[in-house]
Amino acid sequence: MRRPLVNRHTQQRIGFALLALAALIVVIPIILVVLVIIARGIGAINWEFLTQAPREGMKAGGIFPAIVGTLLLMAGTALAAIPVGIGGAIYLSEYARDSWLTRAIRLAIINLAGIPSVVYGLFGLGMFVLFLRLGTSIIAGSLTLAIMTIPIIISSTEEALRAVPTEFRTVNASLGGTRWQGIRNIVLPQSLPGIITGVILGLLRAAGETAPILFTVAAFFLPRLPSSLFDQTMALPYHLYVISTQVPGMPEKVQYGTALVLLALVLSLNIVATIVRSYFRRRRQW
Amino acid sequence: MNKITAEHLNFYYGTHLALSDISVEIPERQITALIGPSGCGKSTFLRCLNRMNDTIRGTRVEGHVRLDGQDLYAPETDVVELRRRVGMVFQRPNPFPQSVFDNVAFGPRVLGLDRQPGQSLGAIVEQSLRGAVLWDEVKDNLKQDALGLSLGQQQRLCIARTIATKPEVILMDEPCSALDPIATLEVEELMHALRESYTIVIVTHNMQQAARVSDWTGFFWLGKLVEFGATQDIFTAPRNKQTEDYITGRAG
Repeated sequence: MRRPLVNRHTQQRIGFALLALAALIVVIPIILVVLVIIARGIGAINWEFLTQAPREGMKAGGIFPAIVGTLLLMAGTALAAIPVGIGGAIYLSEYARDSWLTRAIRLAIINLAGIPSVVYGLFGLGMFVLFLRLGTSIIAGSLTLAIMTIPIIISSTEEALRAVPTEFRTVNASLGGTRWQGIRNIVLPQSLPGIITGVILGLLRAAGETAPILFTVAAFFLPRLPSSLFDQTMALPYHLYVISTQVPGMPEKVQYGTALVLLALVLSLNIVATIVRSYFRRRRQW
Repeated sequence: MNKITAEHLNFYYGTHLALSDISVEIPERQITALIGPSGCGKSTFLRCLNRMNDTIRGTRVEGHVRLDGQDLYAPETDVVELRRRVGMVFQRPNPFPQSVFDNVAFGPRVLGLDRQPGQSLGAIVEQSLRGAVLWDEVKDNLKQDALGLSLGQQQRLCIARTIATKPEVILMDEPCSALDPIATLEVEELMHALRESYTIVIVTHNMQQAARVSDWTGFFWLGKLVEFGATQDIFTAPRNKQTEDYITGRAG
């Protein structure tokens, strides 16, 4: 018998080391991105930066209108996407029978998630801004972002609903509950943490997108706050794009400061989602 | 007095004939045990009695099942009301991940029983827990999580949850197969107590259990009801050779 070069325990150690390295390679860029942005942007963060409008060709002042704009867009997106997304998912996973139609819908949802965001932007321009005459407005931007978010919410909600054991639905039926009573009293409460997590992750993606809001809502420079849903607004991702590429002589600090605010917003919501999920997972016993 | 009668019942999963020509009369306020090897159709038959098979796609029923003379499979039958009248206890204890109180209150709430005059949810819950001989063990903390109870307590909680909807019939699908012998004994004693008020149909793999608890026994084999009679007769003097082989352990 030929003896291997190294014995099997050494092989195992080498294997583990390589796998650990692979895991580390994933984490390093994330940590670096966060560290670099914090290091270069933290100097820009002060009360004025967070609460004032930009001045002097956006080179000074703050980014308050962009922060408010992004929060408004997220709220609008949530309002439009959550009921449709969750409702659609409940229908698909609890009511719809397996037919060519539901299979087509599922296929569409999977494919919608893969469409480049700039295509959503163009769709929003054609559909909401021009055809529905909503103009370049918060409402048009929110609807565009919602269209992009709905597939994410549907698939994560469906997954959360499917994780609830069938047994609970059977017991509900055996007690004389209607299907909807079972969904409302057992299935939804049990799947809520998963649904919330999916919704937050979907909204986060919307919050960070530039392309969909480019043609539908974002203002290049609008130092006042929007006064109605039909106003344009500044938004953090687009503002970041503008000050990074469109304004010569922009202080680096302002660019990284804006990135830091966007990152902080997204990461903090992400952490909320993680906490919600792990809190309920620990309590769940099935 | 017969509570349930099946007449020439055929049941199909797709094209597979799972039950063939079942005719039987199940007496009121007695315990009827259904025995037979795995896959013989006894659970399928049980689920025909409250139409739980409806939830499985591609199934089909021929013939009649009558509850107090009413055809369960007639188009005008209200399935939700039927399932209130015919409750079910499952193989594995399956309380909802909620409090003891909410588990028992679940049925009365969805059926709106607590909104009827002279009914309070608390009273229904207490009555049901007493009925399931669980009250003394949980009365001090009805808010505790049902999943923290022992398996035997969980199964009795499921029985309490079932009787809270005030059914007339209780179907039990191998209710003790996940329980240890002591918890099994408790459930069997409970069945004796329930027999006063309810018609009970139990599917069991445990022939000693069938002999201990039931008044009537039906033996299923390959989708057919081979023999049905008083439990005493089935276990001491079966008329059918297959029945005899099965209960004496020579087949199945």
